[in-house]
Amino acid sequence: MRLDVRSIPYRAGESVTRLVWLVAIVAITGGNDTSLAPPALLLAGAVVLVVALAAGYQVLYFRRFTYDLTDQTFDIRSGIVSRRTREIPLRRIQNVDIAANPVQRALGIAEVRLETAGGSGTEATLRYVSRSEARRLQDDIGRLNRGESAVEDADAERYTDADGDDPLFAITMRELFLLGFVSVDLRILSFLSVGVPLFAPSLGDVVAPTRPLLVQLSPITLGVGGLLVLYTVAALVGGLVAVTNYYGFTLRRAHDELRYERGLLQRYSGTIPLDKVQSLSIKANVLARAIGHGSLAVVTAGYAPGEGGSQSAVPFAERDRVVSLAQSIESFDDPEYVRPPKRARTRYAIRYLAVALGVVALAYAVVRFTPLDGAWWGTLVLLPVVPVAAQATWSARGYAIQGDYVLARNGYVVQREVVVPYHRIQTVTTASTVFQRRRDLATLVVDTAGSGGYGGQDAQAVDIDTEDADRLREEVERRMHTAVAERRSQHHRERTESLRDTTGPVDDGPSADRTTDPA
Amino acid sequence: MTTADGDADHASEEAADTSVESDREALSGPMRSLDPRVRYVWVTQALLTAAVLGAIVGGIAYAVERLLWPGVVVFALFGLVSVLLAVARYRIWRYQVRTDSLFLDRGVFTRVRTVVPYVRIQHVDANRGPVERGAGLATVVVYTAGSRGADVTIPGLTPEDAEELQERLKRLAIVAEGEDAV
Repeated sequence: MRLDVRSIPYRAGESVTRLVWLVAIVAITGGNDTSLAPPALLLAGAVVLVVALAAGYQVLYFRRFTYDLTDQTFDIRSGIVSRRTREIPLRRIQNVDIAANPVQRALGIAEVRLETAGGSGTEATLRYVSRSEARRLQDDIGRLNRGESAVEDADAERYTDADGDDPLFAITMRELFLLGFVSVDLRILSFLSVGVPLFAPSLGDVVAPTRPLLVQLSPITLGVGGLLVLYTVAALVGGLVAVTNYYGFTLRRAHDELRYERGLLQRYSGTIPLDKVQSLSIKANVLARAIGHGSLAVVTAGYAPGEGGSQSAVPFAERDRVVSLAQSIESFDDPEYVRPPKRARTRYAIRYLAVALGVVALAYAVVRFTPLDGAWWGTLVLLPVVPVAAQATWSARGYAIQGDYVLARNGYVVQREVVVPYHRIQTVTTASTVFQRRRDLATLVVDTAGSGGYGGQDAQAVDIDTEDADRLREEVERRMHTAVAERRSQHHRERTESLRDTTGPVDDGPSADRTTDPA
Repeated sequence: MTTADGDADHASEEAADTSVESDREALSGPMRSLDPRVRYVWVTQALLTAAVLGAIVGGIAYAVERLLWPGVVVFALFGLVSVLLAVARYRIWRYQVRTDSLFLDRGVFTRVRTVVPYVRIQHVDANRGPVERGAGLATVVVYTAGSRGADVTIPGLTPEDAEELQERLKRLAIVAEGEDAV
C-alpha cells in the first residue's frame, strides 16, 4: 500500500518551509544592500524551480514508498537512491503511535510510528497516511497479534472495539486545571529560593548604582516576592504544557491493549499492549499528594533509552482511581510498604547537613572573595531544614513483596512507586557503598527491560538492612523463576490449544480440546 | 487423536525435565575467584592511565615552572593507589555458576552482588583486550535485555575458562529457554 496522496504537498511544503527559513536568515544577515538583489523575475523563477524540485522529490518518494501488512510481518519498501526493504515481525511490535499536528489534522493525515524493543530508535515511520488508515493499522496490528485475521468482517467490530466503549479514563477540565497547577518543577524552585535572597540585592549593586532603594528592601522580602513570581511563572508554563499535552486525554481498553489519545494542538494516539507491560509507575509530587492526586505510567520495552519508555496511562487523577486503574492492569494488592531502618534516617541527616554546610561555606566564600555582596548568613536557614528533609526522605522510601509483584517507593518531592511483576525481572542486584556499609545498609535493585532504566525508573529498595537485602535478592530471584515457569507453561498451553483450534478438525468443539489437555 | 497427542507430549516433557535437571546440576559449580593474574592486567591498565596523567601534569609543570617532580609524584601516587585497588578488587571478586542463575560479587568501594537468571541471557561474548592477551586472560560479558545491559562482566578468566564458561552459559540459557524476554 502507499502513503496518502496528501502527504506529497505536505512534505513538499515542509521542505520548502525549511528552505525559506534558511533564505530568510541569509537575507537578514546579508544586510540590506538592495543593489545586489536579483531582479524580481529571476527570484520568481528560482522560487518556482525550488517548489518544483521539492514536489518532484516528494512524488518520487511517494511512488517508491510502499508498505504492506501481512499476517506475520509489517513490510516496508522505501528509498529513492538506495532502496531499503524492512520486515518487522508483528509479534515484536511494542507500540503503534499516531501523531498529527494542526496542519496535518486539517489535511486529514497523520504520522504512524512502530516501536520495537530492538534497535536504537523508532523501527518504522510512515509519513503520512490518512487518519482512518492510521487507525486501521493500529487496530489490525493489535488484531493480528492476537491471532485473529485482519481483513474479514472486522469493520463492524472495529468501531465497537476502540470507539464505542466507555473510556477507562477521560481527563476532566478540573483535573487538567489541577494538573497545570501542580506541575511545577519544584527542584528548580527550591534551588532558586536559596539563590534569590542571597544575591538579588548584590546583583542590583553590580548592575546599577541604585543601592539605597535595594538596601531598603530586605533580602527576605525580596526572596519571598521573587519566589511568588517564580512560582506563578513556573505554574503558568507548567500548566500550559500540561494542558496542551493532555487536553482531551482518554484511555480505552481494546481487548488486550490500552489505547490513549491526547493533545490540544498536536494530537497523539498510542497503543500499550498489556502483555508487554514491564512495570507500572505511580508518580505524584508534593503538591499533587497534598490534594490526593497522582499519575500512572506504563513502562514497556519499546523506545530507545532516554526517549522515555513509559506512556502515560493516567496523567492526573485522584489517587484511589489511579491505583484501581493500575490494579486493573496488574492485579497487585494495596501495598503496605516496609520502611528502611531508622539508622538510614541518620544517614540522610548527615548527608543533608554536609550539603547545607557546603552551601553556607560557598555563599560565605562568594561574599568574602568576590565583588558580589550579600547576606550569606541567609543560607543558615538551611540548617533547621536538614532534620525535616531527612525525615521526609526516609518516610518516602519503602518496599513491598507481594505474591506476584515487588513494589518500591522513593522520593519525597516527586514520589514514585514502581510495580514490577516477577516474571518481568531481568537481573536482581544488591549494592552497598562505603557509607552504606558503615551503617550495615544496602540497596536492592530490580532491573527490567523497560527502557530508560537510568534516573531511578527501576524498582529500588534503598537503604534496607544488609541481611534483608541479601535475603530479598534470593527470594525475588526464586519468585521470578517460579513466575517465569508458570507463564511458560501457560503460554505453552495456550499455543497448543490455538494450534489445535486452527489445524484440528472443525467439528471438534473447543471444549473437547480442553478436557483432554494434559495440564 | 488429541488425547494420544497430549499424553505423548506430557511424557516427553517429563523426560526432558529430568534430563534438564541433571544437566543443570552438572553445569553449575562452586563459588570461584578470578585468576590471580588479573591483578597484573588491572595494574598495567592503571599504570598506563597513570603514565598519561603523569605526562600531562609533568608537561604542564615543566612548561610553566620548569619542574619535573609533579609529574613523577602524580604517576607514583596514582600507581600506588591502583596497585592497592587491584589487590583489593581481586580479593573481593567472586562468581558462581548456580543451577538457575549466575551470581557475581564484586566492588571495592561499592559492593555489588548481582543475580543473572539464565532465562534472561540474550547472548554471551568473550573479549580479549591487548593487555589481557599479554597476560593470557579473557573477559566474558553477559548481555540481558535489562536496562543495565552490559553491566555483567567477568574479567580475569583463562581463555579456556572463558570459552568453557561461555559455552556453559549458552547451554544453561538454552536449557532454561524462557518465554520472550520482552
